[in-house]
Amino acid sequence: MNAPTVRSGSALPVGGGRRHATPGRPRVPLPRPALARTALLVAGVGLGVTTALTFTAETAGEFTAPGGPVTFAGNLTGMIGTYLALMMVLLVSRIPAIERVLGQDGLLRWHRRLAPWPISLLVAHAVFITVGYAQAARSGLWHEADILLTRFPDVLIATIGLGIMCLIGVISIRVIRRRLSRETWWLVHLYMYLALALSFMHVIVLGPSFVGHPLTRLVWSLAWAGTAGLVLVYRFGLPVVRSMRHRLVVVEVRPEGPGVVSVICSGRDLDKLPVAGGQFMMWRFLSRGRWWQAHPFSLSALPRPPYVRLTVKAVGDFSASLSGLRPGTPVMVEGPYGAFTRHTQVWPRAVLVAAGIGVTALRSLLEDLPRKSAPIVVLRASRREDLVLGGEVADLVRYRRGQLHVLVGHRDQASIDERSLRRLVPDLDRRDVFVCGPESFVASIVDLVKSLGVVDEAIHHEAFAL
Amino acid sequence: MKRAGWYLVAGTVAGFAGVVVLHGRGAPAAQPAAAGTGGGAGPARAGSSAGLSPASQPAQPTRSSPAAAGGPAHGATGATEQFGYGKLAVKVTVTGSRVVNVTVPVLQTLDPTSQQISEQAIPMLRSQVLAADGAHINGVSGATFTSQAYVNSVQAALDKLHLK
Repeated sequence: MNAPTVRSGSALPVGGGRRHATPGRPRVPLPRPALARTALLVAGVGLGVTTALTFTAETAGEFTAPGGPVTFAGNLTGMIGTYLALMMVLLVSRIPAIERVLGQDGLLRWHRRLAPWPISLLVAHAVFITVGYAQAARSGLWHEADILLTRFPDVLIATIGLGIMCLIGVISIRVIRRRLSRETWWLVHLYMYLALALSFMHVIVLGPSFVGHPLTRLVWSLAWAGTAGLVLVYRFGLPVVRSMRHRLVVVEVRPEGPGVVSVICSGRDLDKLPVAGGQFMMWRFLSRGRWWQAHPFSLSALPRPPYVRLTVKAVGDFSASLSGLRPGTPVMVEGPYGAFTRHTQVWPRAVLVAAGIGVTALRSLLEDLPRKSAPIVVLRASRREDLVLGGEVADLVRYRRGQLHVLVGHRDQASIDERSLRRLVPDLDRRDVFVCGPESFVASIVDLVKSLGVVDEAIHHEAFAL
Repeated sequence: MKRAGWYLVAGTVAGFAGVVVLHGRGAPAAQPAAAGTGGGAGPARAGSSAGLSPASQPAQPTRSSPAAAGGPAHGATGATEQFGYGKLAVKVTVTGSRVVNVTVPVLQTLDPTSQQISEQAIPMLRSQVLAADGAHINGVSGATFTSQAYVNSVQAALDKLHLK
């Protein structure tokens, strides 16, 4: 393979866009949608079983007794709510087989969309049980709440768990979350694991579906233990193992544009890192003030052993601080994550659209596309100097016999609309569309191409949350 | 992913149906005689094995099997008493005019803790009734509702036997 010009200014060989794949790069595990479908089916079975267990634990006598219907509603909401909470944990446990199909992006979207349900159901559970028991005992609500909290085993601690859960629910409401720093929010969010652990015992000890049913108890406990195991393995174990293996350290921080820097790291065995173009990793720089937080950044080029590069725009305190990163800083990584890769492509050809710093994922994805795949690349930036990595993208596009369109200007003047898109991409409905950039940009492009007849399976996106 | 909802719904329906079918098949076995309700190791054990019988079978006064050894024994089950956290019925067996055994053929509670409290109280209530040879007992503190229901049901059973 001959290499066209490398236009990067550094002596390090990372920046250039030469080959579409380094020989000997490990095979990236391909996404298998059947696995994700099976997981969905299993999740559904679990939901059905959980619901049914509530019904089979109920006798007609219990239901018709005073407070019976309300207590039953309490049992039902409790069981379904707890099961959905388990699903929420699984959605963020980074199980690779599912992550490869839905992408971190997709998993988080489901997590965010479904999360209000378990919390509301569990609050309803607490209310229903208190009301139901009060009706049964013919006593007042507050009196009954007092009895539940002080006399019933494990209820007090589960209520504390519910309180933590509600607090996390409240700070996750969009309006409130925007006022918090990402780090604060994330740290508080971690307490959800504590909340779930606190509530576990009262389910097993008091739940009518579990008392006197050792088998149900066992299966339920195994499901929770298994989930905890998955979280430990994939959120903790695998990242530690990968980081130990590759031993990344920062070797250079290079300015790319206004507020944009590339961080180049070197490491061992990077030829064995199973990463596809367009994916991102969680980066944790082990220096003072940074070690405790991991942030998602796209690889802005495929690894060129022993180097790997990420390109970051200063949008928050953390990303702004990266320009001060010292060479020699050790780095820990999680991932690679993301379904924004050529392996999810349904057509042979693609159109790649990026705005702002979204160009980083586009850049490494482009590098992964085969020669002569004739990609159409559309880059959008507000100002010319914001157009980072432009030279590299141009080289990669030329090598693949593609076309590059650059739109510079304010949103109103250089927007991507139906007319411009039809003109730039005449065969839009026979190409995969890859969109990367800020959330609002991604949403508008996805809506636009959908309205122009591109099917869901051919639309791939990665949004950068600020 | 398309049709994701269908997979979820299909799974849910299958899971629900599976449990209901299995439960229906194993129903007799699934009614554990978990409530060892005070019968003790006496010959009247049979009376207490009904444990958690559903309320749809009303507790009929049963002139049941030969119970206590020696002498003609008569038994009667008192009315099922609601006591807030559940309901119970007491069966009293007498020889002549002496109470020789008390069992609880019907005990149903709304929640496991009440079940636990009742199960602790019932043996004490039984020995109180046997000692007092009637329904005039002190009851068990901490299980006031259960005690009241127990006493009422014992009295109802004795009334049926035209005693005291």
